[in-house]
Amino acid sequence: MDVTRNEAQESLAAIEVMMQKMRRAAASGGTHYFFILWGCVWFFGFLGSHFFPGKTGGYLWLGFDILGCFASWAIGMALRHRVRNAGDNVTGRRIALFWLTLFLYCLLTVWIAGPVDGKKLAMIIVIFAMVGWMAMGFLMSLSIVRLALLITAVTVAGYFLLPDYFYLWMALLGGGTMIGCGLYIRCKWQPS
Amino acid sequence: MSGLNEIIHQPVRLRVMAALTVLAPGEEVDFAYLRGLLEVTDGNLGAHLRKLEDAGYIAVNKTFIERKPRTFVTATVAGRQVFKAHTEALKAILKNGS
Repeated sequence: MDVTRNEAQESLAAIEVMMQKMRRAAASGGTHYFFILWGCVWFFGFLGSHFFPGKTGGYLWLGFDILGCFASWAIGMALRHRVRNAGDNVTGRRIALFWLTLFLYCLLTVWIAGPVDGKKLAMIIVIFAMVGWMAMGFLMSLSIVRLALLITAVTVAGYFLLPDYFYLWMALLGGGTMIGCGLYIRCKWQPS
Repeated sequence: MSGLNEIIHQPVRLRVMAALTVLAPGEEVDFAYLRGLLEVTDGNLGAHLRKLEDAGYIAVNKTFIERKPRTFVTATVAGRQVFKAHTEALKAILKNGS
């Protein structure tokens, strides 16, 4: 068969575009759903902490977290058959184990550092969550690492520079960044 | 030119193979997900997949999940080899200018 130079160039370009599209779609999976979901949890949770300080804010957080966990489970179940591995899913199980271990280490840190006030507790949780995100980012996409670094920087800046508005800061910039990132991934990476 | 493959060279089939070879061996992708990624119609994708399957370059696995029929597609070892040879031949054309 005869293929001209132009045709070869166009074919290689089409291959490159498709491979990048598939790589991103497969790597992100349903990441954008989780970003948007947990961005909303952060947004409303921190708003609750700002406007209802004390126990009410804590109960609101608990409620939002439980909702977030159920919604994450539902999303995970809905997305699990898009790309599947015919063999044993060892990587998936190891990732789940990693998050469980990180959660237990976070609890241990809070227990040893305690008693901690609401802001310090929020800082510790955010730091542990961002370490987890960065680990996932190094596995899947460096843009997640960049986002985790940005959220960490925003959190630390808010903690030290705006202590009176820390929760509001976290709702708008922490939650807002996650929602924005989720929407960006949805628009740029995912098939329609 | 050796290495070029007429079946794979068709634009939609070329993109199908490009998408499938990105996945690790043993990984398979859902038909509907692949259709969305390629931005083609059901019928169009189905016809091209049949051609690739007949050539032995992909494997199509029809199954039921939660009582709903689902189709999964994966690149075979032969398909991966032919696709690699095809892309190398394309690169050679660019390099040699012929």
